[in-house]
Amino acid sequence: MNEVSLLYNYLIVGSLLFVIGLIGFLVRRNMIVMFLCAEMMLQGVAICLVAFGRFHGSLGNPTAWDGQTLVIFMITVAACEAGIAMALILMLAQRTGSLDSLVWQDLREEGQPAYVDQQVPEERAEDQVWPTLTPAGREPLQSEDEQTHRSRV
Amino acid sequence: MSLAFLAAADSFTFAELVKCPTAWALVLAIIGLWMMMGVRSLTGFAALLGGGRPAEPGKTLRYGKTIGGLLLVISLGLFGADLPWLANPAAQGLFWLMAVVTLVAAVGCIAAQSPVYSALWFALSLLGTAGLFFLEGAQFLAVATIVVYAGAIVVTFLFVLMLAQPEGHAPYDRISWGWFPRTFSVLAAGAIVAMLTLLLGGLKDQAVAAGRNLTAREALAAAAPNKDEKGETPVLAPPQELNDVLHPQHMARLGGYLFTRHLISIEVAGTLLLAALVGAVAIAIQGKQRDRVEQALSPGANHP
Repeated sequence: MNEVSLLYNYLIVGSLLFVIGLIGFLVRRNMIVMFLCAEMMLQGVAICLVAFGRFHGSLGNPTAWDGQTLVIFMITVAACEAGIAMALILMLAQRTGSLDSLVWQDLREEGQPAYVDQQVPEERAEDQVWPTLTPAGREPLQSEDEQTHRSRV
Repeated sequence: MSLAFLAAADSFTFAELVKCPTAWALVLAIIGLWMMMGVRSLTGFAALLGGGRPAEPGKTLRYGKTIGGLLLVISLGLFGADLPWLANPAAQGLFWLMAVVTLVAAVGCIAAQSPVYSALWFALSLLGTAGLFFLEGAQFLAVATIVVYAGAIVVTFLFVLMLAQPEGHAPYDRISWGWFPRTFSVLAAGAIVAMLTLLLGGLKDQAVAAGRNLTAREALAAAAPNKDEKGETPVLAPPQELNDVLHPQHMARLGGYLFTRHLISIEVAGTLLLAALVGAVAIAIQGKQRDRVEQALSPGANHP
């Protein structure tokens, strides 16, 4: 198996993941989605690190595990970041009732113009679809049709 | 034209750039991502596509997401055309499966309008990343990614659900899936089974070859004289293993390395986790208390 091309493939996937996360962080305004995009950038870096460790590590080489060790510490820091960021986002959302980061644009620098929404897209009915779980502990309604189709063996 | 142009950027011309699939893949990916994001007020472009009829501003491009997704898939294919290909088609196929799942889910994460769907797409992207870790020989990291990140994702998901107050439901669970997903799922299952079979066959051949190699080496060592003239035992070359990472006792090796060489870092990481825990609790409690104080001090809150 060609190790160099393996390294290239993983590096390209990791960098694409990083770039997608970066685009999402710059484009999206929902604070939780921005946070997810930051985590996605971390994932891209983690893929690159593990690929480098796999490529450079050889038997008896003490640095063979360095990539994976670094990723373990990265996951630790990401978990801390998740906890703190969730607490902060929850506080900000409780204070304003919105997850929009544009609410906090009063914190900008002095000379910067305010960003004003030129045209807000109208909420359509198909945008209001949310994933649901099956409600547990309720008896389904028995219809006549279903009763007649059920086998009575 | 291959990936080498990334390294030798000083010596390429415009004609090479036109012939390079990666450049076209980048252009297509940019346009596709732009359309996947649900771009509004695409007046000129929409008029061009809509048969010269000027589109009113604020209207989403029709079939914009479908066209954008198709462009993204084509750009992924162009990226793949420029990559150096591996000898083992089974590992290649698994790698591509995982890579495409990861990247498509990442694009879905940043393109979904609802944060709930965004979190779900991100969870799928994490599963793809865990698969890539498995392929890279990092088994512990793959499982840790699923456990840690999926836990964080569940927390995020719950926060979004609590904060965003879901309204409206749709009976989409009753929708039949139709002929195309059924056929596609059967084909995908067949492809996965075929690739796994090929991969396992290749692994078995490798193991047999490694065992034969080891036996030959032992026979050689037994035939060789045990001591040379200085009385030292001859140094045997280690058996041909690919990598220390691929050792069968993966977890033991990783744990040993982590708790000997990086012991202080482990302690620092534990302290960091504790500090983050205390900090998060402090932030949450302080915010709640301040809100309660503000509510108590607000006018009209005096009467019960």
